[in-house]
Amino acid sequence: MLFKCIRAELMKLRRSFVWFACVVIPLIPAGIGTANYLFYRDTLQGQWYALWTQHTLFYSCFFFSPLIAVYCAYLWRVENYGHNRNVLMTTPVPLSCIFFGKLAVAAAVTLLTQLWVFALFTVCGKYAGLPGLPPAEILFWCLRGGLGGIVIAAALLLLCQCIRSFALPIGMSLVLTMAGFLFSNKGWSLYFPFSLLTAGMNANHYDDQLAGEMLRFLGCCGVWFLLFCAAALWLLRTRDVKA
Amino acid sequence: MKTAIETAALTKRYGAANAVDSLDMEVPEGSIYGFLGPNGAGKTTTMKLILGLVKPDKGTVEVGGVAVTAKNRLSVLRQTGSLIESPSYYGHLTGRENLQIISMLKDVPQSEIDEVLHTVRMENQQHKKVSHYSLGMKQRLGLACALLGRPKVLLLDEPTNGLDPAGIQEMRELIRSLPGKYEMTVLVSSHLLSEIEQMATYTGIINRGRMIFQGELEELRMHSQKHLLLRTQDNDSAERLLKERQVPCRNQAGALVLPELSDERTAGLIALLVREGVGILRLEEQQKNLEDIFLSLTGRQVSL
Ligand SMILES: Nc1ncnc2c1ncn2[C@@H]1O[C@H](COP(=O)(O)OP(=O)(O)OP(=O)(O)O)[C@@H](O)[C@H]1O
Ligand SMILES: [Mg+2]
Repeated sequence: MLFKCIRAELMKLRRSFVWFACVVIPLIPAGIGTANYLFYRDTLQGQWYALWTQHTLFYSCFFFSPLIAVYCAYLWRVENYGHNRNVLMTTPVPLSCIFFGKLAVAAAVTLLTQLWVFALFTVCGKYAGLPGLPPAEILFWCLRGGLGGIVIAAALLLLCQCIRSFALPIGMSLVLTMAGFLFSNKGWSLYFPFSLLTAGMNANHYDDQLAGEMLRFLGCCGVWFLLFCAAALWLLRTRDVKA
Repeated sequence: MKTAIETAALTKRYGAANAVDSLDMEVPEGSIYGFLGPNGAGKTTTMKLILGLVKPDKGTVEVGGVAVTAKNRLSVLRQTGSLIESPSYYGHLTGRENLQIISMLKDVPQSEIDEVLHTVRMENQQHKKVSHYSLGMKQRLGLACALLGRPKVLLLDEPTNGLDPAGIQEMRELIRSLPGKYEMTVLVSSHLLSEIEQMATYTGIINRGRMIFQGELEELRMHSQKHLLLRTQDNDSAERLLKERQVPCRNQAGALVLPELSDERTAGLIALLVREGVGILRLEEQQKNLEDIFLSLTGRQVSL
């Protein structure tokens, strides 16, 4: 049944601007990051790693979590048209499948975005004249950031399920990411879900900040993820459907 | 009589007021149950309670003998189809894609899509984007979605709302054909009595969350009393003369309203009036129509 829900959610994304956002928005931080790198290349050291600091500086700050918010907000927005929630909630589908169907799609698009970001990173690096291919470690960081992104997706999906506005969750995700920096600066990045993303991506750092803490990172991701999913399901189960 | 839907003391509170107040509803199996009430009476809330979309503060609901609870959610939803607070549709998708989504979620074979499209006569528009549909087409698409999976019980909330007379007629005929065609029980709400009168076999009237009448339409008609309406050239004298003969009557909008009288009595009184020089213009028998009954039951003006 979950599989059918995922297929239904994918159908709802047909002809939607989600795909456009997924492709076009990562171009912006990649462009700014590369320009920055070229401008400061004499003072920056570490080649691919230096380029990574510049790319992720903007991407993780201003683009990644609002982008996930766009995906999540869209997945609920289609249910906010007319009285679609009534229809969705009267289909004979377990509530968990409704939620995880949406989450699976949001997670898949998030990972897709990360792969696209890595592809852009590689292309920009070659354009800037960097030798060889990016280190595998960076690809690992990128995917680890995607894992943080999935936790954020669960949080934002919960938010979008409660807030009917499209723009508000996106704005909130931006604010929460900013708050995430405060936690990261104090070294508490694992204890605030919105900083898992920057921590995972190793944004704006040369050496892996999570070295030796991988298990803790995974554990925190797991705990936050379960927390958000449980809250969303509890609300779906107990709250009246307002359509 | 088997019941398809049964509620007992069903109550839902919003703020200080009860939107649905100790409602006992019985929808006989195979009937078209017309659920009638003025705006804000609690029709939509009742239907949402039946589907479990809204949780009751008190009371119980059973659909096809299954209690509507969180635990039974799926088995209740599997036997119901619904169109609540229409229209609902994914506007950026085509009609067919909308039906595909619902059929996937209802776990119904894709072949049934063609069947429901045929039932609502929408084969030709199925590949158009729904946002380009007319209201009537959107409404029929909503009905098609509700029909997918051939539910035993169908709940339609004001399905003719916003349709033009031709659309209303078409929707009404569609609904009327359903119990015979699919052996369904249909619960259809409306604030228009004339509409319920034309399609329902059974009716419940709700006002301020309370059921004020439930039964067959015929039974409702029996509530109506006959009376006579008399117009004369001089109503004041006629009223005086009739009252002298102990006939209760009142002057209302240029006519005298008399109770039902025997033929002999009527003939005698008319002869008297003519003798006294009061010219008779009209004498007619009037029956309170359902609209009047509805009005006197709800004590409120209904929108027509
Ligand atoms: N979510 C809600 N929050 C607060 N009050 C509500 C809510 N939903 C309904 N009500 C109130 O409950 C009452 C019944 O509403 P309901 O929508 O069931 O009426 P209705 O019979 O369907 O009316 P209409 O013919 O206008 O559709 C109304 O007074 C309405 O204001
Ligand atoms: Mg209503």
